[in-house]
Amino acid sequence: MENSALAKYTVSYGLALALASVVNGLLVVAKESSPAVQAGMQKLTGHHWVTHSALVLGLFFLVGWLFARARGGQGLRLTTDRLLAILVSGVVLGGLIIVGFYLISD
Amino acid sequence: MAGHSVMNELILMAHVSFGVGCLIATVWVLVETLNASAANRRRIQLVSRAAALCMWAAFVIGGYWYVTVYPADKAVILKGPWPFAHKFFMETKEHLVILLLLLATYLPIAAAADLAANPAARRVVLWVAGLTVLLALVTEGDGGIIALGVKVGLLTR
Repeated sequence: MENSALAKYTVSYGLALALASVVNGLLVVAKESSPAVQAGMQKLTGHHWVTHSALVLGLFFLVGWLFARARGGQGLRLTTDRLLAILVSGVVLGGLIIVGFYLISD
Repeated sequence: MAGHSVMNELILMAHVSFGVGCLIATVWVLVETLNASAANRRRIQLVSRAAALCMWAAFVIGGYWYVTVYPADKAVILKGPWPFAHKFFMETKEHLVILLLLLATYLPIAAAADLAANPAARRVVLWVAGLTVLLALVTEGDGGIIALGVKVGLLTR
């Protein structure tokens, strides 16, 4: 028997993935454009990239977990089309921000 | 590369090998998902976990190499004829790989569903696996150009 409902973790971590992807790109712009931001990130772990990775991965796990706890623990509800639109747009946008930034920054 | 020890070369090879392992496992998941049935449900779940594990291994090993060994290569690249190998390809790779890690981590979460009985979950897995394969190929290509950047830098010293 066919079932068209998405599991709550598929939805919650799918949305978290889209958000973390965009934040990943924006963080690149922020640290490369502001020496103070990069120095702060460097100070936190000893290397800006390590801090960058930890922030994005932490955001993904935290937001995914929070979204899964929404609606009394049932998690957020989205149609498959909507989830895929958000997920794919987030990943593509996150990638384009990174590639676009380094294409024009040097 | 720039005067590295054998251990450093092994670390770099392990990074690339785990990255290729993630790529192969994800293509496997993609093909199995296109033919999802009760018979291959467990296999899809296991291979999607293997893809995530390979990606985490590639990320951690590559991250260690990038932080501790790469600065010497970076200096060679920047003084050589291909400075773009660092300025564009390494800079984009080191951040696109975080995106790749997110996708590979999400793959087993999406693949936990019964993909034969749930076409919605099947679509999500196909999209995520497709994006993962695409991004893995891009980052492998980036790595090749970075290695060539070091090589031409050393050859023209």
